[in-house]
Amino acid sequence: MTENKFIKIPGKKGDKRIPSRVLEEIIHQHVKEGHTKLEIEGYGQHGIGGRLWKIENSRIDIRVTGQSGQRSGSLGNVNTHIEIMGPASDDIGWLNAGANIIVHGNASNGVMNGAAQGKVFIGGSIGARGMTMTKRNPRFEPPELWVLGTAGDYFGEFMAGGIAVICGHDADYSIETLGHRPLVGMVGGKVFVRGESQDFSQKDAKISLISDEQWNWLLVNLEEFLKKINKKNLLKSFSQRSQWQLIEAKSPYEKSLGSEKPAMSWFREHVWDKELGRGGLIGDLVETLKGTIPIITRGDLRRYVPVWEQGKYMAPCQAACPTGIPVQKRWNMVRLDNIDEAISMGLEYTPFPATVCGYLCPSPCMASCTRHTSYMAPIDVRLLGKVGENIKLPKSGQKSKKKIAVIGAGPAGISAAWHLTLQGHTPTIFDSGDTVGGKISSIIPDSRIPQETLEAELKRVKELIPDIKLNQTINSKSFLQIKTDYDFTIVAAGAKKPRSLPIPGIEKAIFANDFLEKSKKDKINPGKNIVIIGAGNVGCDIATEAYRLGARNIKMIDVQRPAAFGKEREDAEAIGATFRWPCFTEKITEKGVELQDGEVLKADTVIISIGDIPDLDFLDDNIKKKNGFIAVGKYFQSSDEKVFAIGDVAGLGLITDAIGAGKKAAQNIDAIIQGKEFDQEEILPQIDKQRINLEYYNPLNIADNIADCGSDCASCGQCRDCGICVAICPEGAIERVETDQEDFEYRVDSELCIGCGFCKGACPCGIWDLIPNTPM
Amino acid sequence: MSSDRTLAPNSLSLNDLPWQIKYSNDRCTLCGQCTASCPVKAIELSVFQKRIIKTSVNQNQDHSNQYDTFYGIKQKTRVENACIGCAICTFVCPNDAITPVKNPGLDRLKFHINQQGVPRRRGGRRNASFSVLDSIKFTRISMLTDPALDAGRHEFEMRTLLGRILSPRENIKRLREKGWIPPVRQIYPMIIGGMSFGALSPTMWEGLQMGVAYLNEELSMPVRISTGEGGCPPRLLRSRFLKYVILQIASGYFGWDEIIHAIPHMKEDPCAIEIKYGQGAKPGDGGLLMWHKVNKLIAAIRGVPQGVSLPSPPTHQTQYSIEESVAKMILSMSMAWGFRVPVYPKISASSTSLAVLNNLTRNDYASALAIDGEDGGTGAAYSVSLDHMGHPIASCIRDNYLNLTKIGKQNEIPIFAGGGIGKNGNLAANAAALIMLGASGVQVGKYVMQAAAGCVGTEEDRCNVCNVGICPKGITSQDPRLYKRLDPEDVAQRIVDLFVSFDMELKKIVAPLGRSTSLPIGMSDALGIDDFNAAKRLSIKYVV
Repeated sequence: MTENKFIKIPGKKGDKRIPSRVLEEIIHQHVKEGHTKLEIEGYGQHGIGGRLWKIENSRIDIRVTGQSGQRSGSLGNVNTHIEIMGPASDDIGWLNAGANIIVHGNASNGVMNGAAQGKVFIGGSIGARGMTMTKRNPRFEPPELWVLGTAGDYFGEFMAGGIAVICGHDADYSIETLGHRPLVGMVGGKVFVRGESQDFSQKDAKISLISDEQWNWLLVNLEEFLKKINKKNLLKSFSQRSQWQLIEAKSPYEKSLGSEKPAMSWFREHVWDKELGRGGLIGDLVETLKGTIPIITRGDLRRYVPVWEQGKYMAPCQAACPTGIPVQKRWNMVRLDNIDEAISMGLEYTPFPATVCGYLCPSPCMASCTRHTSYMAPIDVRLLGKVGENIKLPKSGQKSKKKIAVIGAGPAGISAAWHLTLQGHTPTIFDSGDTVGGKISSIIPDSRIPQETLEAELKRVKELIPDIKLNQTINSKSFLQIKTDYDFTIVAAGAKKPRSLPIPGIEKAIFANDFLEKSKKDKINPGKNIVIIGAGNVGCDIATEAYRLGARNIKMIDVQRPAAFGKEREDAEAIGATFRWPCFTEKITEKGVELQDGEVLKADTVIISIGDIPDLDFLDDNIKKKNGFIAVGKYFQSSDEKVFAIGDVAGLGLITDAIGAGKKAAQNIDAIIQGKEFDQEEILPQIDKQRINLEYYNPLNIADNIADCGSDCASCGQCRDCGICVAICPEGAIERVETDQEDFEYRVDSELCIGCGFCKGACPCGIWDLIPNTPM
Repeated sequence: MSSDRTLAPNSLSLNDLPWQIKYSNDRCTLCGQCTASCPVKAIELSVFQKRIIKTSVNQNQDHSNQYDTFYGIKQKTRVENACIGCAICTFVCPNDAITPVKNPGLDRLKFHINQQGVPRRRGGRRNASFSVLDSIKFTRISMLTDPALDAGRHEFEMRTLLGRILSPRENIKRLREKGWIPPVRQIYPMIIGGMSFGALSPTMWEGLQMGVAYLNEELSMPVRISTGEGGCPPRLLRSRFLKYVILQIASGYFGWDEIIHAIPHMKEDPCAIEIKYGQGAKPGDGGLLMWHKVNKLIAAIRGVPQGVSLPSPPTHQTQYSIEESVAKMILSMSMAWGFRVPVYPKISASSTSLAVLNNLTRNDYASALAIDGEDGGTGAAYSVSLDHMGHPIASCIRDNYLNLTKIGKQNEIPIFAGGGIGKNGNLAANAAALIMLGASGVQVGKYVMQAAAGCVGTEEDRCNVCNVGICPKGITSQDPRLYKRLDPEDVAQRIVDLFVSFDMELKKIVAPLGRSTSLPIGMSDALGIDDFNAAKRLSIKYVV
């Protein structure tokens, strides 16, 4: 059923406006009845002309006279043609899905908002937010909006598709053709605009060239548009290509390029540095270079640098040795197959390498061995000592004319004379006794040291030091004479006077040294029961000697926990000597020792072994004393600068203490003779044991021969030359370099090194350290 | 560690350390990069021994014990070498073989960082992650009630005023009488808070300033930055960029003679003068730059000899009362620039803050009040001050703002809030919350370091070694070997990113409130919180 005439539908019934809902029903009723041309006289009813979905493939024409109301043609369908004969209200063509709408006048806000298809032709201008949120569905042609005049503010907001053509006719040039801030958030579509628009969102849209194809499309469709709104006469004036601009949405890629704000590097160079000066903020104060440095750096830029500290620290063994023997160096020689040299090196430090290092010394070197930190057996230095009895004499130094008197032929005196001879001076030893060696020869029991060893070493001493005067009377007169005759005098007379007890019956007792001297020559019979007052190591020696001579009930008493230790104590315990403490002696009687609590300890012989004190009666008053000993300075010089005091006269100690003192005193005298300050090599600090890596050694291994000892020695602070650092360095920065005197060193190429400290971490001997680099 | 070691009170095992190195021998290439880069030398190459036992049940076969060695990375357990969790080792490791892991609750180290009787000092901020600011919600969303705005398309003017705004009556009176009108700056509401040249490295400081200059000159965002107390490089003082700078003066007055020397040569007035009386991170403490950080450069800028420690007294020494402080400091600083530059004090948040504010309201030379809360950061402070001293910023700002409304001056003297803003990453939300509680703007420091330079410090006590100058990122170090890791240009770019994104987030918060041309300062009807007591204390809505 087709008609050529429009059916009129009034928007009013009488005086009464028909509500939007009712008018909608009336229109739909007409359409249902087959009418396709409707003329509606609107009275501001909402949404006239949209939603005529029943007309599937046939065209329907709606003409609106009167006031069209909001959202005319909204939700419009294909085949719907609406012509509004006057101005249109808000949201004309809202959510348009295909309707063609012509407006013969202005349209207010929201034209085509949300439209996806259809075309809207406005024969005037439009209000705010026209063509906003429009989109294009690929299944259909894009929506189009044609505006004769101008667009209001926020035109094309969030526009996602479609084509808008704004002709700018009769535009008021004080406003923009596209109004304030058009195309914000635009992501798709095109806008042809006749006139200027600079205020559009540059972030979202861009001006494009109009192609010939586009221009032809525009011309053809402009004619159609103008025809529809009855303004064909304007075609000519609208046909000047130069007046038109095409604004298109930027692609996501173009948006990702960001705004055209300058790069920071440009800003820095052209704005920042230009205003502040070359080098920027602080270019006038420090040298500033552009760019950064890496986290891992080499050369001067390293925060930490490795250092090869060969010889910078003393090994714990050497540091513990009162004689100062560099034990670790000797083991190093062993490793280098210089066993002979390693053995004979002992004589550079002590006249008694076998006697003392091998037998008599309690070996503080071994006690301090780093291997203890991992509960590994210390390296047995005694092995190296014991083989030292037959080494040949070292060469004496250049002869000097200085004469030095040494009073006392004990270990201290011999050590001093030994080193003075090696330095080229001429010492003379005076001793009141008839043997050389002092307590070593006269008191220490044979069980502690093989006689042949002692004799061999004493023989060597006598060979090196020809001038030993025995059986000399040393009193104040002879002492003064000696002092006058010699350039320097070293007092090494020992502590021979036994310390006594102020108790009744003391005369019935025998003193330790007297007993040992006699026992050594088998000239005493101690009986079965003996009591030793004083349970130190000397007391233990007495106990073992007394046992050898027949004693069986041996009691060692002390006022405090017995000081005896080591081999001596073990030996004493082995022969059944008993230790008792605290015991306070009241008196000594025929029966034995009576204690303060009344108990009587039966004794055939009572031996007092509570230590010795030096006999200093022969010294003149120039030589100051302290607590019964000669007061000495750091290097054993007494208050009389020509007189030195070493060994037990200066303070009780081990044999090795006495030997060390002799060496130091000799070195000091030598320095004084040469007019130099004595520079003690001991100032080297001891190495931190934590620096040594013991993981390289088999903890179960107990080295029992010299070669094994050499390889198991951790060589603290003494480079083993193993090259592990070269192997471990991740940058290949370490190199072994031969130096002049057949020596070597490990060097770091700072241009390769990154300061990781791996060399330090891996070094078995603690040679490498990692220290902060010099501040920049 | 040796077998014969004994136990000392501070003997710690790996289990006792706050950060434990998880290390895989299988993946490790032994390249040395981790040990080379560890800032505290917490790790080292170590030799390990492995026992290989070969046994047999057959009578005639020997058993054997063999020992083998291998190498690997070992963590040190000494207090001074305790891992700080910075993970620079993880960063450099080519094989993902190493990473520090936070010890969940067994950390005993904290009982021992007081060797020689020196309590722990560190950088960073209060080691507590909770922030009441994070709980504040913006509950007033106008969709249909007000014209809701779109943060993306609307033109927003995110600006605030720094300066004393006279009452209309007073203003007109002075205009008529040609009297003095206090200077007022229209600035961006987020200020980069005071971090001194010295606390920060030269590269970091330059990057911040460069970024601020870019924001102003290329993006027209009037962002301002406070110098902190450590002077200002002479070139900056004599440049046009000075107008973006708030010069801080504190009790040590470091660098101020150099600033005075530069005044005749200044092309621009500084934005403002901030008089620092207190810092939220360490209330009652002055700054301290240790001598080893005072190198040639720092010495030149602070106007002191090299290699001396630079302690600042806890307070300005010649001021014994609020009245005196206001009279002396504010007046003399105003005078220095001919009363053209706003001058305001910065105090640490405190139960006494109100007294300061009340005093300022009576003196129209006082341009503003900056309050720094307990969660503020610092380059160096005693841990006890950081963790236990100070006042939360939210209630302090609220009290002060409500006090201003009580006396009718809420539009006349701006309050700026600082301390913990964005400490959990919620920069814009925290800032907006404070603004709606009454702040005219916020000061942000730590977040800037984290976002602009990659500071790895956390409230889980990670890193926090700013005080000793070994910052692995080169942010707080004066050692060129560290600070040259940082490119000022990159920092500047991140500052721009940070402000532009903050700006968008702030708009996202205020747009639904219908605000676009003025900040919602004190618009507390927009706020809600699901904690009844907090709601009551802050006079905002309780929402559940």
